[in-house]
Amino acid sequence: MSAGPDIAAAAPLDAAPTSADRHCFHCGNAVPRGADFGIVIGGVRRAMCCPGCRAVAGMISESGMAAFYEHRTGYSERPTEAPAADEQLRVYDDPAVAATFTDTDEQGLRHARLLLGGVSCAACTWLIEHTLQRIDGVASANVNLQHSRLDIALDPDRVALSSIFARLEALGYRAQPFVAQARRELLDRDYRRNLRRLAVAGLGMMQVGMFAIALHAGDLQGIAAEHQSLMRWVSLVIASFVVLFSARTFFENAWRHLRAGALVMDLPVALAIGLAWLASGWATFSGGGQVYFDSVVMFTFFLLLGRFLEQRVRRRFQLNWYDVESDLPTAVRYRRGDGWVSGPRIGLQSGDVVLVPAGTTLPVDGTVLRGRSSVREDTFNGEQQPRMVGPGDGVFAGTLNLEGGLEVSASGPFSATRLAALQQSVGRASGEKPRLWRLADRVSGWFVLGVLLTTALTALAWSQIAPEKALWISLSVLVISCPCALALATPTALTSAASALRRRGVLVHGENALEALGRADHVVFDKTGSLTRGQLALARIAPLADERPESLAAAGAALQRASRHPVARVFDEVAAAGGFDELTYHIGAGVSGRQQGRQWRMGSAAFCRELAPTLPPAPPQSLYWVALVREAQPLAWFGFTDPVREDAAPLLAELQAGGLGSSILSGDTPARVAELGAQLGIPEALGGLSPEQKLEQLEALQARGKVVAAVGDGLNDGPLLARADASFAVAEATDLARAQADFVIEHGDLGAMGLAWRTARLCRRIVWQNMAWALAYNICAIPLAALGYVPPWAAAIGMSASSLLVVLNSLRLTRSSAT
Amino acid sequence: MASLYLLIPIALVFCAVAIRLLLWAIDNGQYDDLDKEAWRALMDEEPGDTKGDNREPDEPHR
Repeated sequence: MSAGPDIAAAAPLDAAPTSADRHCFHCGNAVPRGADFGIVIGGVRRAMCCPGCRAVAGMISESGMAAFYEHRTGYSERPTEAPAADEQLRVYDDPAVAATFTDTDEQGLRHARLLLGGVSCAACTWLIEHTLQRIDGVASANVNLQHSRLDIALDPDRVALSSIFARLEALGYRAQPFVAQARRELLDRDYRRNLRRLAVAGLGMMQVGMFAIALHAGDLQGIAAEHQSLMRWVSLVIASFVVLFSARTFFENAWRHLRAGALVMDLPVALAIGLAWLASGWATFSGGGQVYFDSVVMFTFFLLLGRFLEQRVRRRFQLNWYDVESDLPTAVRYRRGDGWVSGPRIGLQSGDVVLVPAGTTLPVDGTVLRGRSSVREDTFNGEQQPRMVGPGDGVFAGTLNLEGGLEVSASGPFSATRLAALQQSVGRASGEKPRLWRLADRVSGWFVLGVLLTTALTALAWSQIAPEKALWISLSVLVISCPCALALATPTALTSAASALRRRGVLVHGENALEALGRADHVVFDKTGSLTRGQLALARIAPLADERPESLAAAGAALQRASRHPVARVFDEVAAAGGFDELTYHIGAGVSGRQQGRQWRMGSAAFCRELAPTLPPAPPQSLYWVALVREAQPLAWFGFTDPVREDAAPLLAELQAGGLGSSILSGDTPARVAELGAQLGIPEALGGLSPEQKLEQLEALQARGKVVAAVGDGLNDGPLLARADASFAVAEATDLARAQADFVIEHGDLGAMGLAWRTARLCRRIVWQNMAWALAYNICAIPLAALGYVPPWAAAIGMSASSLLVVLNSLRLTRSSAT
Repeated sequence: MASLYLLIPIALVFCAVAIRLLLWAIDNGQYDDLDKEAWRALMDEEPGDTKGDNREPDEPHR
């Protein structure tokens, strides 16, 4: 395995970047086609070739040593610049190509998933959705901002897929069929583009700044006209380059949204940069007036820096879209004629009879023909307790066959399974996630309006008083009103908060999750695995005979060695009593064995009463009870439960003290959920819910105007996590849950949710402070500028100082322990 | 001050070269992982890193 001594320096790893994904991240062996045991390390999903590698890598990652991989991935994942972007769009109309990323429903509508490059804010999604929905033949278009993904349903007879691609490109977005690998390359390309812009703006800022100091000094001390002119010309050249190269993104964004009728933060930014540059250029040509090249360039640099930092945090913790289908076995054994053959799961037809050995995942939805076993359906109900199945019972793909081999008659292809429906509802739920508009976006519309109005008034007033000064003074209003601080207020605060949380073991990858969490007024918890440990533990031994509990447990442990039931794992750490033989496992009943000629049984009441008819009923406590008998003598009832996390109660107390409501939504039996709710003081504790019903409950809460945070871990929580305003996945969560959650708690410490909540509140306060400062600065500075008291050097200093203050204020978040 | 007419163009040329080099380095992927480069100097002391450590991978810590 690759844990060799000098892996960290393994430069050859980058030799084959495109094939890296087909190789195991841990050991470098090829990953079998379609088999993916991928796990999340350092916030990124990694392909693993086998469960062994997965376990080792997971251990390394969870013990806080993911830096080892972090170091290595830089080498193995260096992307190639894909030429795919220039491919002709026509290729997407080819049915075979289209089939790889689209599917057709009963009404003949074609559903496609596209990956979008260049989607930078919530308003972009609005723009794309509305533009596409206006095209004749498009039934629906939904952009998932977090994944930069477009889900579109269209009528293939009326509109061609290639025209959708063309339209997206016309809008300024790059579209590709959605596949996980393409997404990463796109992210890397965006990242490099931003870095190039930032680099040019930074170098340009230094140069222009150098000349600006000379010019400002000249303003104060006097300067020869020819020298002033020279420096202005040089500044003009450099600033023009920066504006055209680096600041172009602001113009493009502002224009795109303006055409769609949206006022975004980029608009005042583009206006300030564009007008200051134009006027300064004109001053250079005409030899009069004032130049603001330093402000133009510095402005560009600061804003690009803020945006870059924010994007870097997001890119680093980006999770790939998680495909549940990859959890199903690739190859299955099914009946052909009289024998069993192995073949790919993909090729299964409805009616094929599939053999499912004990301990494996069911590959299909279907009906049991032969065999008896129990299946663990935590995929759908979150529960570890298995369900007994026999001939005639329905079983579902993605559930685990625990006890015995089953022959299952497949009922359809993967896309018709309950698992596929679950994944779809996750996708849909995340698409419908409520959009909490950023404070900055709401403020910016008014801000733009106010600044433009003030500028116009200033120009009007001065054209009456002193026409020759009107242009320069109204321009200085625009420059000094620099929305820089306003634009930096949110990203810097969010970035600081995210990195502070990261250090304390909480990964943040939801776009607006911190803002939403700060406003949350209700929390919904999943039960199993979130509020509880998600593993059975021995809660109580109720002896029925005069024997010591220790020896009873030892006997139980010896018998359970033969069991495949989840209960058996509880006894793994109990020393087994000796002398047991003839251990037999009875599917759906229990275990029997013999010690010194005496028959023992452990299992369900009915199973044990066959041997000991006098076995009394289980104690009334609501635990999972298993009986132990020796010959005709009842020995004990073992009560198992899924223990509550110790940090659940303090967390709930804290949230309740903070004024948040809470409820439990669980797939477990209502009685057990109600008991847990009573124990933790949660009034609303609902059990027996399917993933879809959980989602309905959540939507009902949101419809009442609640901002809802959700905590979950299982596949069945996927839709819930996707739809909640802010969602948490606890450490042992399934990949789907982690991919959907806005926050991933790394160390399984539920208390970290409280930390995240406190940080989010603090972050929200900091954003408010930043905004308040930026606006207060403007309210003081604009009148001064309007009166003509602000020379260019003062404008430059004022702008930098206000931006700096915002950044420093945000940095307080990284130091704060949020207590 | 006539030297300005020579020195400023020279400064511009240097600036252009610097930008060109920086863009080349970015395109070349040298800035793709800023975190990693920051970490690399510290990697030797990381617990999960076995670099510069001659112990066999599966031999227990002592």
